[in-house]
Amino acid sequence: MAYNKPIPTPTPLTQPFWDGTREGKLMLPRCTNCNRVHWYPRHLCPFCHSDKIEWIEGSGEGRLHTFAVQHRAFGGWAEEAPFVTAYIDLNEGDRMLTVLRGVDPTKPESIKIGCKVKVEFEEANDELSIPFFRVVEEGA
Amino acid sequence: MGISKAAAIVGAAESIEIGYPEDPKTAIQLHMESIKAVSDQTGIPISDIDGVFSAGMSSEIAEHLGIHPRYIDTTQVGGCSFEMHVHHALAAIHAGIIDIALVTHGQNGWSQRRLKGGGGFRPGGNSPGMQMTSAYGLSGAPSNYSHAMTAHNHRFGTTPEDFAHIAVVTREWATLNPRAVMHSKETHEFGGPITIEDVQNARMISWPLTLLHCCLVTDHGGSVIVARPEIARSLKTNPVWIAGAGECMSHQNMLEMGDFTATSAHKSSQIAYEMAGMGPADMELALLYDSFTITAGITAEMVGLAPRGEGYKLWKDGHAAPGGRLPINTNGGGLSFNHSGMYGMQLLIEAYRQLSGTAEDGINGIAGKQTNARTCIVNGTGGSLSTTGTLILTSD
Ligand SMILES: [Zn+2]
Repeated sequence: MAYNKPIPTPTPLTQPFWDGTREGKLMLPRCTNCNRVHWYPRHLCPFCHSDKIEWIEGSGEGRLHTFAVQHRAFGGWAEEAPFVTAYIDLNEGDRMLTVLRGVDPTKPESIKIGCKVKVEFEEANDELSIPFFRVVEEGA
Repeated sequence: MGISKAAAIVGAAESIEIGYPEDPKTAIQLHMESIKAVSDQTGIPISDIDGVFSAGMSSEIAEHLGIHPRYIDTTQVGGCSFEMHVHHALAAIHAGIIDIALVTHGQNGWSQRRLKGGGGFRPGGNSPGMQMTSAYGLSGAPSNYSHAMTAHNHRFGTTPEDFAHIAVVTREWATLNPRAVMHSKETHEFGGPITIEDVQNARMISWPLTLLHCCLVTDHGGSVIVARPEIARSLKTNPVWIAGAGECMSHQNMLEMGDFTATSAHKSSQIAYEMAGMGPADMELALLYDSFTITAGITAEMVGLAPRGEGYKLWKDGHAAPGGRLPINTNGGGLSFNHSGMYGMQLLIEAYRQLSGTAEDGINGIAGKQTNARTCIVNGTGGSLSTTGTLILTSD
């Protein structure tokens, strides 16, 4: 079935990230001045304001920071409600938003903040895939 | 000292490319190139900027830079916006609120026709932050704020039931305000008093937020006039003095909210208290933006009315209720009075009515509940717990 949810439109700044998703890689921007990874992509490092930023391949691993269960949604997401949205603390640093897989949205009490998650990709069209995260280990 | 020459323009620079760049550029890139350039030119580190002035994009620009300015002006009235920004920056510097103002412009009139999605100067637009969040099914404010409730519950051992007390008490205030949407069964099918069970059993919107943890969606129009003291004293109305004011922002996109249990109201209220020469203990009334129960609960903690993790107790223990020691949201709040999407004006109007002693005179002949407060903290919250503005108001 064709992907029926919102698909982002890449810009020159974000193109390397979306190119990576097509190959199953979670590319992350890293400042070559202070060596910190930041998310989302920037023209200037938000920590030291250098404009020397490179892309590295991330591990795709992290931990659950916080979450919510969406009972109301629009478009293609409406068919999936309820589903779990979550903020992920990446092992490389900084944080991503995602829809969390491998959890039961009807039992939010069973979802443990701090648990380990890993990225996976779903093909949205020929040009890009969307990263999602899946719980790989009950934790914390 | 007068305001003339109270500030100077100390540098001016442009983006690396202007005109018809070979590779199309987004508005945010043009902003960033010029900001980097003017920082290099003047030797002023970007981290020293404490005021951001731009046409419609100031919070996105500050977030992109990772800075938390204490003056945010995003006046957008067309091409003359930037001259006005300089005027407003002069006033802010003259007033001693900020030292260094960034006035910035980025607009891709040429490139936007060549970029998918445009990449223009619309706030949000196809910004990198939006690209990295728009795919995940979030649908407006409730779907964002719920993450903060989960984080607060996890960190402080609080529960959604604790926060339900905020909805119940705020509804009690609404039953005393005949203009409140939820005043009674006469004003709304589901109006009148509610219980904790009503709040928790209401339809789930974004777990852990049920419908009654969320504000109303209504119409509203409101205005206030601010004038200098000589004029204020000459009018037939009672003046309410602006004793303190402060503002700050921590992020635009919730992705950049470092601590989901804290907002910049901590800083904005500190600035306002300091200006007023007052503190939380001096406040006799609080009007705290309650887009959701979690918003009001966290804000009470941030502005120092309660210890961290314990804001909800002001409501749960009855202090915020009618007859309590610190009335909060006496109009019935965004939860039960009125919320048009941007609720800050409703806060100002209620603050004026309470402090000027006109609450019982009513609006359009409909009386409200008068408190005896002579001091009030007003705190507005914008975006996704992103931006905050605090006022300390007093009456004669
Ligand atoms: Zn850096």
